[in-house]
Amino acid sequence: MNKVTTQWLTCPVVVCLCLAASVGQGQESKTVLGPTNPDLYYGAEALLAGDGEEGVRLTLLGVKRAANSRDRITGMSNLCAGYIMLEQYEIGLSYCDQVLAKNEQHWRSYSNRALAYLKLGRLEETEADLQKAEAIAPNARTVKVVRSMLLDATNPVAPLIVIDDRRQAVDDDEE
Amino acid sequence: MIAAGIMVFSVALAQEEPIVEYVPGDEGERRPLHTVVPAYPEEARRARVEGEVEVCFKVDREGKTSRVAVRRSTNRAFEKPARDAVRASTYRPLLKDEELSGIKTCRTFRFHLASVTID
Repeated sequence: MNKVTTQWLTCPVVVCLCLAASVGQGQESKTVLGPTNPDLYYGAEALLAGDGEEGVRLTLLGVKRAANSRDRITGMSNLCAGYIMLEQYEIGLSYCDQVLAKNEQHWRSYSNRALAYLKLGRLEETEADLQKAEAIAPNARTVKVVRSMLLDATNPVAPLIVIDDRRQAVDDDEE
Repeated sequence: MIAAGIMVFSVALAQEEPIVEYVPGDEGERRPLHTVVPAYPEEARRARVEGEVEVCFKVDREGKTSRVAVRRSTNRAFEKPARDAVRASTYRPLLKDEELSGIKTCRTFRFHLASVTID
């Protein structure tokens, strides 16, 4: 029973990405402005829509035009996610590294980098980054997904369902 | 302002067929005709959560189930799949000379996760 052929392990896996979009905010609360960095904003939108190539293209432009370090970090975080979407994991890693060099508490980058490491088979580094992401954002769903992917890689399981009809029937009034 | 968006891209993870074990009931009870196996909730599988649900229900003369209710459960995540499976299952119809019992039938589903050994 424990020995199961694991063809399912080779099935397409769940890809989990975390994106951040920069949106402009007026100095006065009644003023509604568009995004301060449209390339960054629409790049994030494209990535969220699943268009990795367009998302990366726009985000690269957005990072070039970033007016402040916050936008730059957001852009690099999105580039990390975008390149992972494009299955260019090494490039994605380099952007996550840059984000984390500037902000050690950026859990999305830990999570994304963990995913890139996982896809590259670097399981110890995946575990280390996941622990950091979990420490910062213990309830983040994307972190949980990456954790489950790591578990699937290291401790795969298959559903086993027992249907037991031995339970005696109960009186109609018992419910 | 930074508006953070989180998205999970699901690339159609094929739901693997569960391993199924069936333990038949006692003699004299209604015999299953078509038994539907509940799906293992993906969230629970990911989180490595196991559970058990006992569902009780009526079976009419034709073998259809009704008044399906969870009698006992260790985790709510498994209740709907168990109920749905019972609703979709059927029993052998009664013969003309057989009487319909007034008692409910119960079925227990145990949701386990078996370690996989890679060949």
